[in-house]
Amino acid sequence: MTLSHEEIRRRGDYRDLSIDGFDHETLKKLYYFMLRLRRCELALIDEYHPADEMRCPIHFCVGQEAVPASLSLLLKHDDYLFTHHRSHGYYLAKGAPMNELFAELYGKASGANGGKAGSQDISHPQSRVYGGAILAGALGIAVGAGFGIQLKNTSQIAVTGSGEAATEEGIFWEAINFASVKKLPVVFVCENNRYSTHSPQENRQPPGNISSRVAAFGVRTETLFGNDVIKVYAALKKAVERARAGEGPTFVEAFTYRWNGHVGPENDDHIGYRTADEIEFWKRNCPIALLERQLFDQGVLSQADKEKMSAEIDEEIADAFAFAKASPFPEDADWRRLNLSPSTPLADRLLKDDASAQFDQNQQYAIPGPY
Amino acid sequence: MRKLNYGKAINEALGQAMELCPDVIVLGQLVDYKSGIFGTTTGLVDRFGPKRVQDFPVSESVMTATALGASLVGLRPVLVHQRMDFMLYSVDAIANWLALWRFKSNGQSSVPVTIRVIVGRGWGQGPQHSKSLHAWFAHLPGLKVAIPATAYDVKGLLLESIFGEDPAMIIENRSLFSMNDHVPENAYRVRYGQATIRRKGKDLTLVAIGVMVPMALRVAEQLAKEGIDIEVIDPRTLTPFDETTICCSVAKTKRLAVADPGWYTGSFAGEIISRTCEHLGTQMKAAPLRVCLPDSHTPMSSALEARYYPSDEDVANRIRVMFGRQPACSAA
Repeated sequence: MTLSHEEIRRRGDYRDLSIDGFDHETLKKLYYFMLRLRRCELALIDEYHPADEMRCPIHFCVGQEAVPASLSLLLKHDDYLFTHHRSHGYYLAKGAPMNELFAELYGKASGANGGKAGSQDISHPQSRVYGGAILAGALGIAVGAGFGIQLKNTSQIAVTGSGEAATEEGIFWEAINFASVKKLPVVFVCENNRYSTHSPQENRQPPGNISSRVAAFGVRTETLFGNDVIKVYAALKKAVERARAGEGPTFVEAFTYRWNGHVGPENDDHIGYRTADEIEFWKRNCPIALLERQLFDQGVLSQADKEKMSAEIDEEIADAFAFAKASPFPEDADWRRLNLSPSTPLADRLLKDDASAQFDQNQQYAIPGPY
Repeated sequence: MRKLNYGKAINEALGQAMELCPDVIVLGQLVDYKSGIFGTTTGLVDRFGPKRVQDFPVSESVMTATALGASLVGLRPVLVHQRMDFMLYSVDAIANWLALWRFKSNGQSSVPVTIRVIVGRGWGQGPQHSKSLHAWFAHLPGLKVAIPATAYDVKGLLLESIFGEDPAMIIENRSLFSMNDHVPENAYRVRYGQATIRRKGKDLTLVAIGVMVPMALRVAEQLAKEGIDIEVIDPRTLTPFDETTICCSVAKTKRLAVADPGWYTGSFAGEIISRTCEHLGTQMKAAPLRVCLPDSHTPMSSALEARYYPSDEDVANRIRVMFGRQPACSAA
């Protein structure tokens, strides 16, 4: 199926989200995660200025909640998740704690990375979620985790999220090629939000879906409207199951949209790179609103349930802010220790010290042959 | 005392590492072929199987990223690049990910990846098969850099890297592969950040990096006959770097020369001289000297190669001048 941002908008408002056959618990969890992520991002946006206490670039993911929500239900604690710079959804999807996320944004010692990484480089190794700002680099590492999992023959998988622009970097295709040739247990999720900073996809890539180009490498692909969380969940579920069953990698291209500017809490639409119509379309077709309409209509959820959920989430957010603000700044700046390990426990256990003899310098160098 | 050449010492280290720990794997183009990267990986696939010794697509960038990801899962990958020039495709994976992984995880996540990289020299390797960019990589925090000169050191440093907790790069000069040295049979370690004094002397400290070590020792032998007593120090690793051994020597000799197989500008030799002068600059009896490659890409023609790489006589003459002597006539 050929899908594009233009095609999605041509279809008009999206109304065919279907929850038929889905158990209510799964639906409520998807909804709750999206609501939690949305409220978390909106609270951070409100707080970012004028306080200026979060002194790091933040790429907010308002409008792109469907993929992280789906992953939050599909991944196990042992699985690996690698995220792009718009990281908060992925971080929370892996069950990493919100208070350490907030403290990291504040540059505090209690942050997920003790204030070394910030929003765009955040990781939570205990939760096996790792971020990085330089588009496709983390995707290559996910392939490596998949390779390691395959060698260790466990039932884990590796999932990597990227934007459509990551496919313009060479390592993306090296990773797809390698994952395909080795049938690695990897799921690639591409959140196609059309813009790389302010540059639209059609200025950067030839027409046609990214997924069709990926498919040419022998990787299974799915292309879908990424604000339909039910479709996203179903596609990722299939991909995760295939990976776990040793059936190789899948690439899922989910069309979605970010509401905020590329970076920071402000709107960057004064630059004029996207139209008011386009923004309006995507806000009308918000992933949370689309699901909520069905849940309300079919009596899965009530307005009172939503208010209860919101209150619980807001309390968690308030606690996370309080934790972040009350935490001290990091003090220790032992640069060498921060960059290199102070100990070598395995080498200590396996290797012996020995003594060398006098080297004889009067020997011929190797003379290489023609190749 | 058993002797082994540099290439065979690498092969032995890899085999022992794989025996000691099932998590050690070897990845690289053609590592599972009989020729085995100048003999350094020969036989490993027969001993340890095709899962642990794997050929890799010509995708240097994702090969490095793959090693990083695999190390997160608990493996200890060794990558092999037949030429440093090809490894440059993976500089993003090295500089933006591997080297800062520990730092940006606040020390919670280690990525013990060992990168073996060979520098070509001779037989017209030319500008894309001969670059020695050890200074570039030594500039990078979070990456250990070793440049072993002897078979003894390459085995010990390779084992130390594989079983260490940080990413490490072992820079191997192709010219050294045939050179024999005493190599113990056991699995021993050579620690990072520990220079070795290869020859004692009192008149000049000559620090020699990698392939320049045998040359420095020959020059010291020659100049001893002319009454210049040279202490030759091999730093062995550039990150971490053993400044103390060099400074203690220079405090005694009051003179410093560095022989570096890299380009002059931005050379690691410049770093060594600068560090030493920060401590001892006012005590030195002569301006420090560095012998490097010219600031030029490597020529193919053997006639130009002979002028491009410094000879024993070039180094000896620079030192003679430092001591106010006449350069020997045979020098060009």
